[in-house]
Formats: sequence, C-alpha cells, structure tokens
Amino acid sequence: MTAYRLERRLDLDARSSALGRIAGAVLALVVAGILLLLTGRNPFQILADALDAIFGSQRGLEGVALRAIPILMTGLAVALSLRMKVWNIGSDGQFLMGAFAAVGVGIHLDGPGWIVLILMAGAGAVAGALWILVPALARAYWDVNEIITTLLLNFVALQIVAWASLGFWRDEGAAVIQSTERVPYTLPAIPGTDSLTIALLVPFVLTGVLFWLFRSTTIGFEIDTIGGNPRAAAFAGINVRRRILIVMLFTGAIAGLGGMLQLSAPGAQQLGPGFSAQFGLSGFIVAALAGGAMLGVLFGGFFIASMFFAGLVLQTKGLSVFIILGIYGIILTGVALGEVAARYRLVRDELEPGSEPTVKPTPEPTAEGAPA
Amino acid sequence: MMLALIENAFLSLVGSAIPASTVVVLAALGCLVGERVGVLNLGQEGLIGIGAVYAVISVLSWQVESPWLALLIGMIAAAVAGVLFAIAVVVFRANQVLVGLALALGGVGLSNQLGTNRNGTPIQTQFTEVNPGGVLDDGGILEAFFFHDPIVYISYLLLPAVLWFGLFRTRHGMNMRAVGENPAAADAVGVSVTWSRIAYTVLGAALSGAGGAYMVLSFTPTWSPDIARGRGWVALAVVIFAAWRPFRVVAGALLYGSMISLGATAQARGWGFVFDAADLSFVLSMLPFLVTLVAILLPAGAATIGRRVRSTAAPAALAIPYSREER
Repeated sequence: MTAYRLERRLDLDARSSALGRIAGAVLALVVAGILLLLTGRNPFQILADALDAIFGSQRGLEGVALRAIPILMTGLAVALSLRMKVWNIGSDGQFLMGAFAAVGVGIHLDGPGWIVLILMAGAGAVAGALWILVPALARAYWDVNEIITTLLLNFVALQIVAWASLGFWRDEGAAVIQSTERVPYTLPAIPGTDSLTIALLVPFVLTGVLFWLFRSTTIGFEIDTIGGNPRAAAFAGINVRRRILIVMLFTGAIAGLGGMLQLSAPGAQQLGPGFSAQFGLSGFIVAALAGGAMLGVLFGGFFIASMFFAGLVLQTKGLSVFIILGIYGIILTGVALGEVAARYRLVRDELEPGSEPTVKPTPEPTAEGAPA
Repeated sequence: MMLALIENAFLSLVGSAIPASTVVVLAALGCLVGERVGVLNLGQEGLIGIGAVYAVISVLSWQVESPWLALLIGMIAAAVAGVLFAIAVVVFRANQVLVGLALALGGVGLSNQLGTNRNGTPIQTQFTEVNPGGVLDDGGILEAFFFHDPIVYISYLLLPAVLWFGLFRTRHGMNMRAVGENPAAADAVGVSVTWSRIAYTVLGAALSGAGGAYMVLSFTPTWSPDIARGRGWVALAVVIFAAWRPFRVVAGALLYGSMISLGATAQARGWGFVFDAADLSFVLSMLPFLVTLVAILLPAGAATIGRRVRSTAAPAALAIPYSREER
C-alpha cells in the first residue's frame, strides 16, 4: 500500500520556486476564467479574441511591445528592490515624476534632438531617484518601513502631474483639455515597425546589465547577501545602510527612466492625468511573478503587457479595465500561493499492508482564496 | 469682523474634518486589529471599495431602507474578502504583502466593476445627525463639535475605548498581543495562533468595510469609481503613526481629515495664499499624503536622534507567517 504526503523541502532551488509561481499564475487564470464564466461571459471566446488581437497582426504585436516598455522598466525597478527584500511600491510615482521631469526639459530646451533626448533621459532618471530619496533615507537610516512611504508619494506625484497638465505647463492651444505642452522630440524608430522606437531596447539592455550584475559582480552578491540576511551582511563588512540607500535610489532611477521612455514614444509626448495606467502595479506583479529574477522579468513583463493590451482591445467584448484589475489581483494571489506550494514536495511512503500512514497528509495549498 | 470670519472658517473646518476622518478612523482601527495579531493587510483600499459598493447595491438594488442594515451588508461583504485573505495568508501562509496588494487591486477592480452602472446615483438612505430635539442647533461651536451621526460617536469614542480596554486590560487582549509579538510563546501556552489571526483579520476587514460603507451612507452620498482615493493607504500609515494604539489612531486620522477639509474649505472659499486659488487646490490635495508621510517619519527620526519616545515599534511578528514546525 502506498500513501502520499507533503514534505517540506529542506532547501528550495530557484527552479522549483519559479515553477511554483508560474503554476500559481496559470491556476489563477483558470480561476479567473471560471469567475468570468459564472458572471455570464465566455472566457474561451475572450481568450480567442485576445490571442487574435495580439498575434493576428503586426499592430497587435507592436501594441504589446509598446506597453511592455513601461511595465518592464517598473518591473525591473521592483525586482531590483526585491533582491534586497525591499518593497518599492512607489514605482508608479517615480515613473510619473520621471515623465514630468522629461516633459519639463523637453518643452523648455531647444537644440539638437538627440542632445535634448539624452538630457530628458537623465532628468527622468534623476527625478525618479529623487522621488524615492526620502523613503530610501528613512528606510536605510531610520528603519522606517518603505511600503507605505513609497506608496503615499504616488498620490503626491499624481497631483503634481494633474497640476502640470491643468496648470503651469498646460497646453493652451490644444483640443485635448488636460495635458501639458507637446515635447517635439521623439526617439528614433526601429526600422520596419510603425510605432516602436529604440526605447524598446532599453529594458533589454538593462535586464542584461542587471543579470550580469547579480551573476558576476561583488555588488550583486552583496545585494543578495543583504536580502538573505542583513545582519550577516553587516558582519561580513558590508555597509548595509548605504547599500540599501543606493539600490533604492537606483530603483527609482529605473522607474523614472521608464517614464521618460514612455513619454518619448511618437504620439505620447504629452503628460496628462491618465499617463500611467497602473504601470507601477503591473511592474510589481511582474517582479513578484519573476521572484526578483531579472530574466524572469522579461517573460513576466511581456505576459502582463499582453494581458493589459488585450484588456484595452476587448473593452467592447465583455472585458473592462476593472475586470483586468481584478484578474491581476487573482494572479498575484496565485503567485503568492504558488510560492508557498513550491516549498513542499509530494513524497510516497511505502507502507506495510494494513498499517495506517504514520503522518497525516496535509492538504496541498491551491489557488483558492482569490479575492475577486 | 475678521474674528467672525476666522471663527466661521474654523468651525467649518472642524465640522467637515470630523466626518471626513471617520472613514480613515474605521479603516485604521481595522488595520490595527489585524496588525496586533501579526497580520498586515495592505488590501485596505480594496476593502473600503467593497464595503462601499455593497452598501450602494443594498440601497439601490435591494431596497434596504435602514442605513444600519446597509452598513452591516457592506461590513459582511468586506468580511468575506477578509476570510479569503485570511485563508491565503494564515492557513496557507502566503506572503502577506503580495496577497495584500492583490486584495487592494482585486477589491478596487471588483468594486468599480459592480459600481459601473450606479455612478452618481444619489443614495437616499443616510445616517442622520444626532441632535436632541433640534433645540441646541446654534450653527456654531456646539454643532461643529457635537452634532454628528451615530457612526461618528461609535468610531471616535466607543470603538477605540472598547479596543483599548480589550487589548490592554483583559487577558484575552494580552493573548492577542502575544500572538502578534511572539506567536511561538502564545502557542506554547495554548492560544490558537491560527484561529486568533483568522478571527481578527476578518474583524479588521469588516471594520474597513464599515469605513467604505459609511462613505456612501453619510459622507459622500453617491458611488464614484476608485471611491477610496488613497484613504486605505493613509489608514495603514496612520496605524504606524499611532504606534498601534487605538486612541492615537483617532488623532492621526483627524490630522489627515483636517488636511482634506482644509483643501475643501480653501477651494469653496477661493482662498489664495502664496499660490493663487487654482494652484492652491493642487497643493492642498497633496497635503494629506505629505502630512501623513511626515507623521510616520517624525517619531522614527526623533528616536534616532536620541529623544526618548514611547515604543513606536511594530508588533514583532507583523507580516511573518507562523508555522509550528518551523520554529
């Protein structure tokens, strides 16, 4: 007779952890599908329409890639902070302030396009870093939890953007009521595409750099050490507080640069209240799905960007932004539960016939408990 | 003349700050209840939305005529979400930050979706202010401070008093605090960590839901998308500022509420100082969040610089899942 039971893994390798998170996300999508079915929508039709919208045309693929840029940038920002067990939930605010600074430079400077664009990128990165400066200082030197402080600043950034677009940088002549003046410069297009610019390369390059940083450098190792055990890191001679401060500033800079990239896409070029469509939160889900692994961010980023794009296209076919938000919530829950499930493995006990199993089997965690 | 103007403005500030803060008081007390047993629920924004939208649905679609019943329905809806949250983080020990954010996202999405066709419809079922016989209605200081609806009294006085007494003056409260500080020790003396965490997480969610329901049943009598507008996050911050003590939560929430009503008053009266009136309204709408941020930073900063402050530390086991086999 055989009996199965769950056993805790003594050490968790990255692969089974990743598999657990992916399985959690997939199960979450199934749960979301069932919920859609229960509320009178046809999830199979929605899935077919979504796949058609994405893969049916070049426009669809470009649409996904275009949304992937900001989501990858915020995703990388959050993933970098996660490596240190720091939760930067304010990447939305840093993203907005990056775009804000880029607009400020773009509408006030005249000059050769490429110089202005480089200055815009610099301003965006610096603004993003400045936006996380206070939470980073507080976290590093005063041990103030960063979750709430970074998040509160999102609301302040939203107000600044609203102020700029309705007030001091308002485009007086335009028909669109709520936006800033238009930045006349855009990044060079990628040949053969309609809407993509070299902005798409930035997250790929950055992923490569971060991947290398964590794979082959002392800095990356130190960050991982701090994430693993800050006390041990301090004993090893790492200046933990300073590292936390610097890495947090970098995460802000990445998100801020993301804002500049989004702004420099042809057709964007202006800043308004709807500029960031929850990109910070999307990036957060991407980073959670990837578990802080940089290459994982690339896959997760395109996955979430596809969902986001499908949500935009399918608004008339029974989906809405709100439902997508709900599905995001279910996915995030699935990822969190998958992370737990990966810590266990199923083992088979060979028992003497007729004897009872010695260990009571515990129920396996599943993707129930999704809050929507 | 000038004095009368100032008095007038002050009264309207106080008069509107108290109801404006009630949502935050309720949600923050909800956070506090959960955090004292070691469960951090970042989903406040979603819980407020769920509480509000179900209060709206109960009035508009189910013809509920009693505001108390509508409030209860909002609380139950949020409690159901709280049960799902508790199953994920307490039973399955999933990461509280991830699932909390999931609840914030999912709850906002769900409530906005359910509220879609109900935007702007006035909610007739409302709490009314307690005003004994109308005789004391003087339009002045008494009215600003004392004539509010019953939920205000419950949130500002009754609930904090009950929580304070329960947490700090009863054996049960001591056990609950132990679950939040050192669950292994609580477990060793026979307190069920799992059940107390589930129970108080659900109770906390219900309180946050009550905050949302109160919004549409008194404060802003209509549904609008993203109804919480950051109040859930402010509530989480207020608990930190209040160092997990019930009456300080009231003080922190009032600080937030007075910033909100300062903005509203300035806008209504067209005030302008430093900035002109239009610009000032943007600055003032940042203030509640900035002031909340500073309020969290100050005690920590004071502690670092060396001024002795009463313990501002979070419950030691906050956001850490408890598993007997992993001690």
